[in-house]
Amino acid sequence: MSDAAPRPPGFVSASLAIAQKDLRIEGRTKETTLATVLFALVVLVVFAFAFGGDAVQRAGAGTIVPGVVWVTLAFSGIVGFTRSFRLEREDDALAAVALAPVDRGAVFAGKALANFVLLTALETALFPLTSVLLDVPLLAAAAPLALVVPLHTVGLACLGTLFGAVVSRLQRGEALLATLMLPAATPLFLSAVHCTASAIEGTPLAADRHWLLLIGGLDVLYVLVALLLFDAILED
Amino acid sequence: MRRSSDLAMSALTVATAGSMAAALWLIFLVAPEERVMGAVQKIFYVHVPLAAITFLSVFLLLTGAAGYLWTRRAGFDHLSIASAEVGWLFCTLVLVTGPIWAKPAWGVWWTWEAKLTTTLVLWLLLAGILLARAYASTPEQGARIASVLGVIAALDVPIVYKAVDWWRGQHPIVFGPGKTDPLAPGMLAALLVSMGAFLLLFALLVAVRARLAAEEDRLAALLEAAARSR
Repeated sequence: MSDAAPRPPGFVSASLAIAQKDLRIEGRTKETTLATVLFALVVLVVFAFAFGGDAVQRAGAGTIVPGVVWVTLAFSGIVGFTRSFRLEREDDALAAVALAPVDRGAVFAGKALANFVLLTALETALFPLTSVLLDVPLLAAAAPLALVVPLHTVGLACLGTLFGAVVSRLQRGEALLATLMLPAATPLFLSAVHCTASAIEGTPLAADRHWLLLIGGLDVLYVLVALLLFDAILED
Repeated sequence: MRRSSDLAMSALTVATAGSMAAALWLIFLVAPEERVMGAVQKIFYVHVPLAAITFLSVFLLLTGAAGYLWTRRAGFDHLSIASAEVGWLFCTLVLVTGPIWAKPAWGVWWTWEAKLTTTLVLWLLLAGILLARAYASTPEQGARIASVLGVIAALDVPIVYKAVDWWRGQHPIVFGPGKTDPLAPGMLAALLVSMGAFLLLFALLVAVRARLAAEEDRLAALLEAAARSR
């Protein structure tokens, strides 16, 4: 059977290969990590200037910090999502990726996985920075945050990958990413801010069951919609 | 064929104009003035039909967008273009007429209540779809991208509503379990006729816009054929 054509890789191995490729490029260049972490730091500093350094003490950590963290994550994420597809533009690499004998959904899954890893790396820098710069004891809320934050990061990575792909097809479309993505991310954003506030204020997570259920459902929906629609985005 | 669609369009135009005149007559001359709010309540007869039809346009958008992605037939894309543009227009009017009523009634132009916020988010989503189509390099790409965004927007709207509802809970409920006293008969008639008039206007605008999109496609095909034969 050695003369038979090699079987194309299955969905899981194809998506893992794509994620591995993106992360390897990132490991060699460190472009996205540097750009997003620095950008996140800049946004944090701007927030501190805008609200005053002692805003957290005046208004309470639960009011200010979740908004600051998620706005920072969304904006820095957008910097990263744009880069995720710019990688493929060089030497028309996207054509090669699209021509690969694998399900186009696997391309989405791989890219979303890589974006999830990069966002998680960004978060591991952002939360300690927020804790230090805004003087909030986030370490005390580490356990609930460790559940809440990845749940919402999955959704953010999926939406970012989906919309990143859409704008990468449009000429000069990168300026549109935030405009298109953020309104669609409304439920994700409301849930993220609410659950993060609960985690910081020490409210038991059981009180937010409906939000956690919503975000779990959203994660599944975003993945399904992206898998269905990705084919149409990558065409041409 | 062409003749009969022209005839239908003219009939629709006459029906729209006639029902619009009837609605104005009922709203301003027949329906009694509301006891507490006075004349400002009249905007309700415009606001409610516009809002209901805006959400109807989302269903049409979903049909057109999903239908295009599934079958790749241009007719679905024409429906998707028309419902996105006319839906966006109606959505804009909802967002303008609402605050005109809200300021005297609630004391504020805007509140982050679920129906208002969802309408605003829908407006942004529709604006994004129109913008993305304008950025596309070919009409075919525009159709595909707009369809993808259309499906996402239509699926997103109910979830946005639920999420904002949990986030904030002040919109008047006129019908349904929260309300016991019915509308005065004159008011109900004015609302229903106004609803019909705006529905006809919506159908007319969607039909005209979809026909225009079909004509644009035909023109592009003719130009391409002419360029090839030269």
